Amino acid sequence: MSSKKSHIFDGLLSDNTVLSSLMVISPIIICGESLKNAVAIIYAFSIITFFSVMLSSFVPKKLPYAVKIIIYALISSLVCVPVKLAAENFYAESINRIGIYYPLLAVNSLIVVQTEAKFFCMKKLRMTASLFFYILGFDAVILITAFIRELFAYGTINSRMVDVNRTIGGLAESFGGFIFLGIMCGIYRAIRSRISHSSAKEDNDVSDN
Amino acid sequence: MFLITDFIAFLAANLILTQALGTSTLFIAAGNRKSLVATASVITIFTTFGSASAYITDRLLPVKYTDFTLFFYTLAVGILYVIFLSALFFYSREKFDKAKKYIHVSAFNCAVMGTLLTINGRAAADSSLMHLGRYMLSGIEAGLGFIVTALILTAAYKRLTSSKVPASFRGFPAMLVYLGIISMAVYALK
Repeated sequence: MSSKKSHIFDGLLSDNTVLSSLMVISPIIICGESLKNAVAIIYAFSIITFFSVMLSSFVPKKLPYAVKIIIYALISSLVCVPVKLAAENFYAESINRIGIYYPLLAVNSLIVVQTEAKFFCMKKLRMTASLFFYILGFDAVILITAFIRELFAYGTINSRMVDVNRTIGGLAESFGGFIFLGIMCGIYRAIRSRISHSSAKEDNDVSDN
Repeated sequence: MFLITDFIAFLAANLILTQALGTSTLFIAAGNRKSLVATASVITIFTTFGSASAYITDRLLPVKYTDFTLFFYTLAVGILYVIFLSALFFYSREKFDKAKKYIHVSAFNCAVMGTLLTINGRAAADSSLMHLGRYMLSGIEAGLGFIVTALILTAAYKRLTSSKVPASFRGFPAMLVYLGIISMAVYALK
């Protein structure tokens, strides 16, 4: 039971879309430099990915791999249209800054790679729960990244000035995004290996007793 | 001197190092050197022919349907995807088995779609760029940029994955930091 649960929650921590698999990293590197952008990306990514994967799950499994991938990409590019139209009302300012990264969310790896490799190997209910946590994992990473980068690059939190003595402008640039994400990935791996190490030790202690 | 200036301009326009487009694909392909360069080459084919189909889409799509640009780009890349796979299959079954994985990875990703959308954006801003030759040239340029970045990554691949790098930073995290440093150098060239 516990192993089943850990699989469903995998996307949040142990198999995080960004930090573990390094997927969908372009929007985080370029747009994850302010909380406003991050919220707009979270809205688009969550809705596009969730509905695209759910709708794609109805595509017949017997079709050739390439045809299925094309259909998944077409479905997500159609889902992207109403999402973008709605976003133009809610996040008008952010949409301009995000630019091409908005439509690019429609061809993210979670839709065109992970669907076949992971999600469609599961039963529907389990797939829905797992997908939810994979999306949540991405949302958490972009939110944390945007918070830290905005704080130290601009000295603001959600565009409100805060008392930061020294700002690092480079953190808002693409190279800052690459380096910051690399460091975050390293820290994530260190924490993950420490956790798995300690849980393995606990398991050994229990089996010894 | 002109060549150096051109090369600097080419590097400064690199879509991976300046816009992080296709970084995930680069890391998926980073399993070994051969696959990295092969994927980058297939992506160049996709960006080049994809740009031509993007030009046709932009020419034919009525303005009131511009919200569906991505859909038609996806359709165009999908058609190319099927054409490339079929052509390779009929050309040589052996080569098809070897190369199909590169085509699968290269078709739908941020590198290809990002290139098409970037070219579309440039053409929308400057109507003088709205012709087939210009679109295809931009597509080739973006693909070559991807190959250059793959080669830059390949050059340091062994060191970035060596046991001398702390375990937590070995591989992908180190590659990200490395690309960040190269991106910083390119940023300075702008």
